[in-house]
Amino acid sequence: MNLFDRMLWVIAFRSLMQHRLRTLLLGSAIAGVTALLVTLTGAFVGIKTTLLVSATTLMSGHVNVAGFYKSSPTSAAPVVTNYKKVREIIAKEVPELDYVVQRGRGWAKLVSESGSQQVGIGGIDINHEPGFRKVVQIKEGKFEDLEKPNAMLIFEAQARKLGVKVGDTMTIVAPTFRGTNNTLDVTLVAIAADIGMLSSWNTFMNDQGLRQLYQLNDETTGALQLYLKDIEQVKPVQERLRKVLAAGGFELLDPDPRPYFAKFDSVNRENWTGQKLDVTNWEDETSFVQWIVTALTVLATMVIVALVAIIGVGIMNVMWISIRERTREIGTLRAVGMQRGSVMAMFMAEGTLLGFMGTVGGGVLGVLLSVGLTQAHISLPPSWQFIFFSERLVISPTAFWVFFSVGFITAAITAISIIPSFLAARLKPITAMSHVG
Amino acid sequence: MSAIVTIQDVVKEYNLGATVVQALRGVSLTVDKGEFISIAGPSGSGKTTLLNLIGCVDTATRGRVEVAGKNTAELSERELTDLRLNTIGFIFQSFNLVSVLTVFQNVEFPLLLQNKLNAKERKARVEALLEQVGLLTHQKHRPNELSGGQRQRVAIARALVTDPLIVLADEPTANLDSETGQAILDLMKSLNQQKGTTFIFSTHDHRVMRYANAVVRLADGKVLGRESPEDAVAHAMGLETPKHAEVRTP
Ligand SMILES: Nc1ncnc2c1ncn2[C@@H]1O[C@H](COP(=O)(O)OP(=O)(O)OP(=O)(O)O)[C@@H](O)[C@H]1O
Ligand SMILES: [Mg+2]
Repeated sequence: MNLFDRMLWVIAFRSLMQHRLRTLLLGSAIAGVTALLVTLTGAFVGIKTTLLVSATTLMSGHVNVAGFYKSSPTSAAPVVTNYKKVREIIAKEVPELDYVVQRGRGWAKLVSESGSQQVGIGGIDINHEPGFRKVVQIKEGKFEDLEKPNAMLIFEAQARKLGVKVGDTMTIVAPTFRGTNNTLDVTLVAIAADIGMLSSWNTFMNDQGLRQLYQLNDETTGALQLYLKDIEQVKPVQERLRKVLAAGGFELLDPDPRPYFAKFDSVNRENWTGQKLDVTNWEDETSFVQWIVTALTVLATMVIVALVAIIGVGIMNVMWISIRERTREIGTLRAVGMQRGSVMAMFMAEGTLLGFMGTVGGGVLGVLLSVGLTQAHISLPPSWQFIFFSERLVISPTAFWVFFSVGFITAAITAISIIPSFLAARLKPITAMSHVG
Repeated sequence: MSAIVTIQDVVKEYNLGATVVQALRGVSLTVDKGEFISIAGPSGSGKTTLLNLIGCVDTATRGRVEVAGKNTAELSERELTDLRLNTIGFIFQSFNLVSVLTVFQNVEFPLLLQNKLNAKERKARVEALLEQVGLLTHQKHRPNELSGGQRQRVAIARALVTDPLIVLADEPTANLDSETGQAILDLMKSLNQQKGTTFIFSTHDHRVMRYANAVVRLADGKVLGRESPEDAVAHAMGLETPKHAEVRTP
């Protein structure tokens, strides 16, 4: 008799059903852990998706062509001169492209009457930003006003900190790439809903205004952000761009998977002047927040392992009790000719079945829970928004992670049942003769 | 007739902490094919111990136990299990049916373990046996829906389904009322006569001994002798043996 024998599973299933309460309790515990695992993995997917969406809206394309211009070896400016030519190359060489936007890049102090904050400034041309309008939710004011020169958009938390409302005037104080401070008065035309930690230091202003701030000409921008039809194509597009840009006569920085603002020091140490381009992807530009995902993964793994260990001990105990109760049955089966291996298989089948029923129930529960929590549009407290990159709780259970959770926990329960099953298989057939019980 | 069980100078000791209990103290016995033999003796005399050794669920401390021509001391755990499956049928005092399986499944189980017959053949065999024990109409029932006598009949069907050479029954009627017990023994006897299966059953009930061809009397771990059922019953009822009676007569 082996695991494929129907009878083993029949005995296993009916034995579980015979102890309904016990099975229900253990099954519920297993279901609970599975539901938690499904929900946690769903939350990760949610975080990753919102991170992707918000990062690729606020500070990066799927692929970026950016770079530095140096008038002297130590005065790197995050600028692409002559960007229109780069744009032509992109249009010609990247058929995967959905659309491309140009964004100015700046770093300055934003000063209001009651406060100030150091912020990154994206210079945007609001009429050529199809993605931006979909993701950024305006709370006050309107997008269209970003058409006006010196118009500015900031986020709610920033507005609170600076004590400003739409229509107010603020001053931007920017150290230029030449070492002096430029100032520019701007008008706040829109306040947008926060998008997690990424919106805490990002602001946007009219791209012409930003050029004016840094005294740059119309041919310059900070970065060309490429949005692809399929995000899976990032790597090949990135590689191809490097090649064709180099072939088109552009100098390129060596690949460096860091966000652009972390590269000033190393670029300034290099002894060249003029323009060099840098081809990065969204993961490079958000690598500084990936630690959050990593930390959450570690934390959640620990929680799940601990929970599986706890229910594992419970299951071992309960299985052991059940085996003690069934010594005569086991002895009988051994006496009538069942081999040890089959007894072991029978009890492991019981563990697997219990695990499978629990995890499938838990998987369904987890999906319902995730959908329910997402549908409830629960507003996250600010500190959580920071981590979830979203104002609201978004849990996206995926088929992969649901199957993974069911498979993983069923496997764990099966593995746990090895020990009691082994002990059951060691029982002597002579126990069948006992007349008690 | 050929011997199917041969036991020679068998000693079985149990270790109870520091003390050693001798359950069998040098037992020798031969059982021939087709016998319907009873092992009789008072409580603690070693009946169960002896049946366990014949049934290959336990091994002797000393001496030789040969079942179906095989010296059980030389067999591995795996081989002993196979020997039990293919050569021996068990009928237990407390029936020992698998409670979660139906009557049909309980009887079918050893055939599944043997894995020799296909589903159709198994069905035919199981139904034939259930017919013989009069439980064909109860095949979908669970054991707890049956009376004690019915359960023991299921157990008999299970013991016989593989066509074993030997059927061992340790006090098969002890948990049954006397009328039901007699019906069970009638059934066992008729199966013994039809199929020639060897039956070895233990009892301390003289009404049960009457059914046997021969009775092996055990006392205090020793074989007192092999007797006809009549003599054995006389002993069991506390009457003196004819030999002693002779001494008294003058
Ligand atoms: N597992 C054991 N451990 C220790 N002693 C045992 C064990 N099994 C049996 N004995 C002892 O061996 C002797 C014979 O026991 P056995 O069960 O064979 O007797 P029995 O004839 O079947 O008795 P009963 O009619 O009560 O069933 C008894 O003294 C008993 O106490
Ligand atoms: Mg006994």
